[in-house]
Amino acid sequence: MSTASKFELPQGTLDLLILRVVALRPIHGHAIAQHQMISKEALQIQQGSLYPALYRLENKNFLVAEWGPTETGCEAKFYRLTAKGRTQLKTETESWGA
Amino acid sequence: MNWFQRLSKTGRMEKELDGELRFHFETQVADKINAGLTEAEARRATRLEFGGLEQIKEDCRESRGTLWLVSIVQDLRFGARILAKSPGFSLTAILVLALGIGVCTLAFSLYNIAALQYLPVRDPATVVRIQRRSPGNINPGVPYASIAYYRDNAKSLSAVMATMRASPLVLNQDEQRVSSTFVSSNYFSELGGSAATGRLFDAARDDSASAAVCVLSFRLWQRKFDGDPSIVGKAIRLGGKPTMVIGVASETFASLGTDNPDLWLPLLQHSYFVEGSKPLTDPHFGGLIGMWGRLAPGVSRSSAEQELLSLTNQLRKIFPAIIWDHEYIVITPGAHFLSFEGGPPVLALVGLLVFLILAIACANLGGLLMARGAGRQREIQLRFDLGARKLRVFRQLLTENLLLGLLGSIAALPLSYGVLRLVLVYSNAPSWMSALPNWRVLLFTTAMGFVAALVFGLLPTLQMVRRKKNRSLWHQMVVCAQVGASCVLLILAGLLVRATLHTLYSDPGFGYEQVLSIDPGMSGHGFASAQAQAYLDQLQNRLRAVPGVTFVSTARVPPLVNTIVMITSIDVDGRRIMIYPNWVGPEFFQTMRIPLLRGHYFHNGEKNAVILSESLARKRWSSEDPIGKQWEKSNDVVVGVVGNTRAMELNNTDATEIYYPLTADDFPAMSVLVRAAGDPNTLTPTIKAIAGGIDTGLYPTITPLTAGFRKNVSQVEQMATIISLLGSIAIFLAVVGLFGLVSYAVSQRTKEIAIRLALGANRAEIFSAVLRRFAWPVLLGLVAGVAITAGLSQILRRGLYGISGLDPISYMGAMAILLAILAAAGLLPVRRAFQLDIARILHFE
Repeated sequence: MSTASKFELPQGTLDLLILRVVALRPIHGHAIAQHQMISKEALQIQQGSLYPALYRLENKNFLVAEWGPTETGCEAKFYRLTAKGRTQLKTETESWGA
Repeated sequence: MNWFQRLSKTGRMEKELDGELRFHFETQVADKINAGLTEAEARRATRLEFGGLEQIKEDCRESRGTLWLVSIVQDLRFGARILAKSPGFSLTAILVLALGIGVCTLAFSLYNIAALQYLPVRDPATVVRIQRRSPGNINPGVPYASIAYYRDNAKSLSAVMATMRASPLVLNQDEQRVSSTFVSSNYFSELGGSAATGRLFDAARDDSASAAVCVLSFRLWQRKFDGDPSIVGKAIRLGGKPTMVIGVASETFASLGTDNPDLWLPLLQHSYFVEGSKPLTDPHFGGLIGMWGRLAPGVSRSSAEQELLSLTNQLRKIFPAIIWDHEYIVITPGAHFLSFEGGPPVLALVGLLVFLILAIACANLGGLLMARGAGRQREIQLRFDLGARKLRVFRQLLTENLLLGLLGSIAALPLSYGVLRLVLVYSNAPSWMSALPNWRVLLFTTAMGFVAALVFGLLPTLQMVRRKKNRSLWHQMVVCAQVGASCVLLILAGLLVRATLHTLYSDPGFGYEQVLSIDPGMSGHGFASAQAQAYLDQLQNRLRAVPGVTFVSTARVPPLVNTIVMITSIDVDGRRIMIYPNWVGPEFFQTMRIPLLRGHYFHNGEKNAVILSESLARKRWSSEDPIGKQWEKSNDVVVGVVGNTRAMELNNTDATEIYYPLTADDFPAMSVLVRAAGDPNTLTPTIKAIAGGIDTGLYPTITPLTAGFRKNVSQVEQMATIISLLGSIAIFLAVVGLFGLVSYAVSQRTKEIAIRLALGANRAEIFSAVLRRFAWPVLLGLVAGVAITAGLSQILRRGLYGISGLDPISYMGAMAILLAILAAAGLLPVRRAFQLDIARILHFE
């Protein structure tokens, strides 16, 4: 079982989606998933593929994470874009012609 | 974060991952509750959406890039648990590995001490051995005149030393002679030697000294003088010459080369100790002086060789007589105990035997692992079902094997250390040799552990992972290899043991038991020929008068106790035949009880006659009568043929001898042989008195020929003991391995055995049915083993006294032992199976 077959989306697409969402504001994983559902994007992100993708992006230094309080007062891990991530997002968007 | 940070924060990162996912989960549940579901329903729905939490975690870990190091540690911990779970197997496996690796480590340690390690001298990397070569000469010694010239003119050498071994000298009035070496006065200072007491040679004081001085070795000081420091400054007699002891070398001093003398003497005083010698000017001594040096800083060996070559050419103009044509200089590293230039084939053979032991150990272990592999099949299957990748499982199993290999290595070290210490003590090795493993040995042992693990582990692991059902072929091959290797070792052990017994109880061709040899050492005291002849005549006459003496004679090379070896050769039909010559007095053959086969012994005063040994006559004139024929291109005529003695080379049935009558030149070098009617040792005091009484300047040594025989034989005995030991280890390993394999085979077929028993088959039939599949591998292994040994034995022929390399008793004996082991290895597990509860077996399966 390889990692690739588990994801619905090709890795590149998923990464791009996540970067776009995180670009708006620092956000935790749950909120990313919610954003996808609420915005009724045609592409759904499976729960199981979200977090591995987040870790992968963090590993590549596109995202950086830190713990902080949510509105409800719980502690959650917030992700935000790094400069490198911003550059990557721009390059990817341009290559998609979007 | 870099890898180091990740390594140290693994625990925290796990907690964070867990927290993050849990937060998401709970938030989702909360949302669903808000949307109207009950808590239970909300949780259930969220769980379904999430999928497997553990799976997600695993994927996150992988995305992050799991550290290679962390998973290795994981594997090692798991492997350790597995080994601890079956302690019986683990201990057996470690023992087997320890034996196999231990033997290899021992061999390597010996090689390391002998050839790889530096001697403990000052700055060993720059110490070199300097030898001269030329196309026509092989003697590496350098004449003193050359040494002095090089010392004065060579810029690439910062120091030059010279050594010359001396014949054993008599110390005071002792019977046992001491070994000594003449050295240049800078020897100790260059090598950084220190004195245990007194002082060592010193160029400034000893080069121009008028009194003779010597330095004792620590060993001699303890043994002969009880470590008494007052010996310094006292005089001792060496070969009758008074010599002052100026000091004792320290216990850990290492001599160059394989030298280990009892004392050292100054080279410049050689002519004092050996009257009439002229080592410094006589080119004849060129062959005996060894030259050593120290390279100047930054100079390479080859540039030093170049410089010395040009100096040699200059030297040829000054001393044309002592320099060969086309002479050149070879410089080799000098600070090793032994230098293997080209290496004798014996080394390769020993290496082969040692690796054979390791191979058997690995084959054993492989078989045992495969047997155990069946038991773990369920566990492996479970892992695959849970989603593990093949590579991961394979890596896990391999790590287990590597752990086993490492443990085996660790267990092997104390084993080989212990044996090495015994070896060093038993062989009177120089005290600087230590049995403690140095970094090379440790590295070698660890590497062997890995190699062994890979070798024994690869096949069973591949099998387990591939889940192949047909394992029996591998088993059979392992059994075949094991039987073959054990067969070779057992046969070799048998051959060598037989050879030893044969040597001890066989007749070497002459009656040596009742003969004593007296060596007056006249050549060391400057006796001229006439003087020597007079001495010998007087001695022989007096000896003949002693009651109990039957025959007295003389020989240049006394058999078995000779200190020099003379050899010559002739060519017959393009084949070279090596011959041991000897110059003998009248009645030599009667004294030595060498039978006369044709012709007659030398008459008194007979000239231009030779007597051949029987094998030589046969080789030269196979079908004709040699009596009366001319010998080679000389005036000599063959007058007799005598039986072979093989005295010079007991283990070589092809050795040939030729005897010449005495000439005037021979007298100073003669030894006297005395045959006694009874035990020769009872005559020793009388003979000593007579020999010492004729000339008080001489100190003759008296040696019974049996002592010489013993010494010749002891080397083979030692080898045979070692080989027998190796053979016993091989037997033990074979028993363990075969036992494991066969019990596995039987356990696989317990159900079948139970059914057959229930159906009324008798035990013999079941026995043969179960073990029949091993019949052909065993047969193949035996055949291969016999064939390999037969081939090897041709190389070993020179070490096998008098028995053929195809000696049937050894072969039969070895095979019988092996078959007995196999039968036992097969019987016991099958018997155990018979005793099992049949009903339970059938129920279980």
